[in-house]
Amino acid sequence: MNKAKSKVIKAKSKKVLNVLITYCILIIVAFIFFFPCLWLILASFSKSGSIYSFDGFFPSEYSTDSFVTLFTDTVMYNYRQWFFNTLFIAGMSCIFGTLFTILTAYCMSRFRFRSRKAMMKTTLVLGMFPSFMGTIAVYLLMTQFNLINQHWGLILIYSAQAPMGYMVQKGFFDTIPYSIDEAARIDGASNFTVFVKFILPLSKPILVYTALTAFTWPWSDFILPKMLLQDKNLYTVAVGLMSLGETEFARFAAGSIIIAIPIIILYFCLVKYMINGMSAGAVKE
Amino acid sequence: MNKEKTDGLKARGKFVGFFRSLPEKAKKKFSGTKEILTQGNGKVCASMCIMGLGQLLYKQWAKGIIFLVLQLAFIAYFVLTGATDLFGFFTLGTREGNAWYGVEGDNSVVMLIMGIFAILMIVFYVAIYISNVKDVYKTQCACDTSKNPELFKSEVAGLLDKSFYKTALALPVIGVCVFSILPIVFMILIAFTNYGGDTIPPALVDWVGFQNFAKILTLGQFAPTFFKIFGWNMIWAVLSTAINYFAGLGLALLLNKACVKGKAFWRAFPILAYAIPGFITLLGFKFMFSYGGPINYYIQNAGNPAVDFLGINAQWTARLIGLAVNAWISIPSTMLLATGILSNINTDLYEAARVDGASAWKQFIKITLPYMLFATTPVLISQFIGNFNNFGIFYFLRGGLYTEGYFLASDTDLLINWLYNMSIDNNYYSIGAAISLIIFIITSVISLAVYVFSPSYKQEETFR
Repeated sequence: MNKAKSKVIKAKSKKVLNVLITYCILIIVAFIFFFPCLWLILASFSKSGSIYSFDGFFPSEYSTDSFVTLFTDTVMYNYRQWFFNTLFIAGMSCIFGTLFTILTAYCMSRFRFRSRKAMMKTTLVLGMFPSFMGTIAVYLLMTQFNLINQHWGLILIYSAQAPMGYMVQKGFFDTIPYSIDEAARIDGASNFTVFVKFILPLSKPILVYTALTAFTWPWSDFILPKMLLQDKNLYTVAVGLMSLGETEFARFAAGSIIIAIPIIILYFCLVKYMINGMSAGAVKE
Repeated sequence: MNKEKTDGLKARGKFVGFFRSLPEKAKKKFSGTKEILTQGNGKVCASMCIMGLGQLLYKQWAKGIIFLVLQLAFIAYFVLTGATDLFGFFTLGTREGNAWYGVEGDNSVVMLIMGIFAILMIVFYVAIYISNVKDVYKTQCACDTSKNPELFKSEVAGLLDKSFYKTALALPVIGVCVFSILPIVFMILIAFTNYGGDTIPPALVDWVGFQNFAKILTLGQFAPTFFKIFGWNMIWAVLSTAINYFAGLGLALLLNKACVKGKAFWRAFPILAYAIPGFITLLGFKFMFSYGGPINYYIQNAGNPAVDFLGINAQWTARLIGLAVNAWISIPSTMLLATGILSNINTDLYEAARVDGASAWKQFIKITLPYMLFATTPVLISQFIGNFNNFGIFYFLRGGLYTEGYFLASDTDLLINWLYNMSIDNNYYSIGAAISLIIFIITSVISLAVYVFSPSYKQEETFR
């Protein structure tokens, strides 16, 4: 009797210890990820812009000046314009890029056609080339198509290159049970209907993931816009912020925080799709 | 061990078999062509001469007109620019520009890229031409056996059903061809020219064969730097991929634990890191570890001399900082991916395992890890390649440094940084292209091998 009781207590204390360790790790992880962000936020509120006037991680004086000048002082650095440029480019690239990627991944996962394996191997091989070696060629192509200094040129490149990364999505589609397709096909649905009505609703987690990556890539890319956009008013935020010097550190921090906000909001709106894959309850085999 | 051996044998058998079966395959392909050539009637011949004519003779108006228009469009393109572009690809320009005499010369590099574009267009045209002939032959066969040929309407409907993949893949394939394949082909070809140094337009560029590769292997200028950087690059790619993958998976599993309350709250911190664009993070960390930065502020306050974390002599500290910063940036995305895939695992498996009394560790080893590896092998490979070619980290942390013993590079630079220094900062275009080709061959062999032996390729249907 007593032995059993001590066993229960032991198991219980083991469980408590387990929870305790879990939370300790969580707190450490949270700190590691949060602290640099906190530092940047504090820096954006520093009164003197330069990084050299800080007391360690913390600015010596606080004010909201840098946020105000970010949007009002647009003569040298037209941040407002940059922000909307970036939003437009990233938004459009996100829509087209996600569409292309999902379609490619779905076809590669569900259809068995000639040249499929060849295409898969080709994309894998192409992905292994150093990315920016091709950018010289892309730049020359863009001058030929007369798309230099135009946002649509960037959108074209981002959306056209997006399907190269279809592998993650294909892996996801591969794990969706085939029986769903077969059941729908028996009911007389065409492949298009199966895709739109059955597969897409089950793919919300991967859709969200694809859309987020398709959005964040143009949102933070600097090599392509730097090369293709020469007019200062056409800049994206990434290129614009890179042109800020060290003495403008507070303005840099403020600008960074503002462009991080849309993605954070996106996450908090879309989080539920990423957590629970819906196919967990769809088919039990 | 045994399994590996049989796998190896199987792969070898496959390899040998592939070449043995080549003549047979070619014969098979050729017999189809032969059949069309010998059996095709006048209408098939009509389509061979003028695309769409055969279809029109069979009274398939819509299809015939589409093929006809495509042919006209191609001819128009070829006459207007295509032919000269194609010609320019081989000559790379004959007339050198001279600003003195107001002579506008040929731009070899543009001619090269437009030449590739013309070849791409021809390939597209040939594909359409073949499908045109095949289509009319199919109609003929259907007519001969007195079946009704497939109606245009039903064929269009088929584009949403049986051949939905054709519709869906058309735009992505064209996009990838023009914006990924064409630039890469361009780069490969550049490796065989003398583009770079003084030879940039308006000077004429020319084909030089394998001279660039010979230069890399024989000139003492390039070879030692190449091998030193390559060694570090391999260490970096393996270490950073392993760290990011397992830390991301671990974090996802930690957050998936039943005892963790407020998952959204805890998950928000890595997401915050994920949301901040990489270049901001990198510049931020550079400031943090800089000589006058906050970390040195505390070191100095404690009475120690300031440490030059990222300076010219900081080989291993800079490398470790690079690994840590890369982990900070990449772990959240791996975590998100792992969370998404974990949510897809059939929960019955765990139920069954628990009933059988399997420990948490055993469940991880036997269920979670194999499933994750199955679903993410392609990701792992692409992450490995991504890390191998991770340009941003050391470009931002230690950009513009050239250390002793290295030719136009620093001791933390990866090959991609070196290529950037060579080709974009210092105009060594053709040498850079040649080196990146060598690297590409090495990495592609490694990853193709891993991919072919991976469970997600070998047993594509296992988890269905």
